[in-house]
Amino acid sequence: MSASTGLAVRSLRNIRRLPSAFLPALLMPVFQVVSFSGTYAGITAIPGFPTDRSVNWYLPMAVTMGASFAGLGTGFSMIRDLQTGFYDRIRMAPASRRDILLGPYLAAWTRAVIAVVLVTVVGFALGARPEGNPAAVLSLFVAGIGVATIGTGWGLGLAYRFKDMRAAAIMQLTLFLGLFLTDAQTPIDIMTGWLQTVATWNPLTRVLHVARLGFVEGGSIGDLVLGLIVMIVLGSLAWLFAFTGLRRLDD
Amino acid sequence: MTTLLSDTSAPIVAVGLERTFGSGERAIRAVDGVDLSVEPGEIFGFLGPNGAGKSTTVRMLTTLLRPTGGSAKVAGFDVATQSDEVRRSIGVALQDAAIDPLMTGAELLHLQAVLYGLPKADHTARVGELLERVGLSAAGDRRVGTYSGGMRRRLDLALALIHEPSVLFLDEPTTGLDPMSRMALWDEIRRLNNDGTTVLLTTQYLEEADQLADRVAIIDHGRIVSRGRPDELKAAVGAPTLFVAVDPAQVNTASEVLTRFGELRPTAEGTLGVGLAEGAAGVSAVVRALDDAGIGVHHLELNAPSLDDVFADATGHRLEGAS
Repeated sequence: MSASTGLAVRSLRNIRRLPSAFLPALLMPVFQVVSFSGTYAGITAIPGFPTDRSVNWYLPMAVTMGASFAGLGTGFSMIRDLQTGFYDRIRMAPASRRDILLGPYLAAWTRAVIAVVLVTVVGFALGARPEGNPAAVLSLFVAGIGVATIGTGWGLGLAYRFKDMRAAAIMQLTLFLGLFLTDAQTPIDIMTGWLQTVATWNPLTRVLHVARLGFVEGGSIGDLVLGLIVMIVLGSLAWLFAFTGLRRLDD
Repeated sequence: MTTLLSDTSAPIVAVGLERTFGSGERAIRAVDGVDLSVEPGEIFGFLGPNGAGKSTTVRMLTTLLRPTGGSAKVAGFDVATQSDEVRRSIGVALQDAAIDPLMTGAELLHLQAVLYGLPKADHTARVGELLERVGLSAAGDRRVGTYSGGMRRRLDLALALIHEPSVLFLDEPTTGLDPMSRMALWDEIRRLNNDGTTVLLTTQYLEEADQLADRVAIIDHGRIVSRGRPDELKAAVGAPTLFVAVDPAQVNTASEVLTRFGELRPTAEGTLGVGLAEGAAGVSAVVRALDDAGIGVHHLELNAPSLDDVFADATGHRLEGAS
């Protein structure tokens, strides 16, 4: 077992032992897919709306939200380890810094898969169905892992820099701003003013479009490629942000 | 100084080690030019009050914190440029036994074995061996959150030993422990030292340094103010200290009387201390003189020179919580 696997196993074991730290992040996206698809069922009446099932529209949003919570949850755990001093023990190990950083990522990806599966199952129970290609479910997972990767790097980077709960507040604020200032709730075409501009240029809109591929009409291979590029670029930047933060702990 | 660093036989060497936090007017120099040389197989005591710079020095020597000045080598490797090699050579038990309370003792040891790259086939045997060594075999499968303070410290020590390091850093290993647990840990430290492990031990307990350390360095305000063998340092202080507690209103008069018998020494508030040049033979003369001056003595105590006297001699104040 490598250092990264060992750290991931420890993180996942702790989820089992302290479920209260994980369950809210799991239940929140479930609540979102249930409430949004029910409350805004009438959204499908908008002329040109790309699906006749509201849950098809909101399921990808809830999935990306759940996956991002998985990433940020890793950041919260890191704050706890930094504050208790446990992370000093990990930093003193001769394992490579890359492996030490990869451990939380492995845990976050596992947590993200759990969240994506659960939210998808609930979404399907509420009537979500791919429009045509059943492989669309795969795009949900790809987007979920992508968002979890970005969220993990962002969360860890903030945790390493602030080392306290200020990081948690920034994580949550930026997550909600980042995801809600997309076309998560309504199509860009019916937005107006600065919201439309921001949603158009928000790179997370492209990630959401990957998640929606096959669940709504109009997706293209171009959307997939653009979304993947965004995930790779943001994921790499987030990794770099976390890695430099880990290095800065020595200062 | 360069000669000190080139001494490859010394497991721990520091030359002009510095650490400053912050910058500009708000900069705090926590460690201010520490020179150290710890010999192979010795227990070196690093003694000082809270905030003196002990832990910051240890954090630099264990690669957790980058020095802002000076240099240091541990196990022959530079702490700043060869940190991985340093980490492979040392075991560390930090001040606040940082142990995840959700994990069991055995799980923590297994994780430590993974982090230090021990062959997987050896993990179970090594974990069992260490649990037995620190007397935690029966509690190995219990979550650490249920451990007492002494058990946590012993587990912390076991974690530091997972890869059989040649140099061991123990940062205030017995702070907060009851006397029984403290003595049990001292025994274990002696056993490790007898096996050839070099130990750098920070402590604020005078007795601990006295009992365990072959040599001590006393640090105050980030600087080493005294160093040497405990018995030599105490002998250098010379005369024993007579502590006298008097009525607060008579402190000034009592001070004048006591200066006739030797040099006044720093003491805790409400007590006066004088280095009795004549030793125990001078006590009766002091009592008579105080009585003649009409000073009521509440308490009188003659103490042989201690490391606290060494500290007081070097710094002008006594160690917090000194016994």
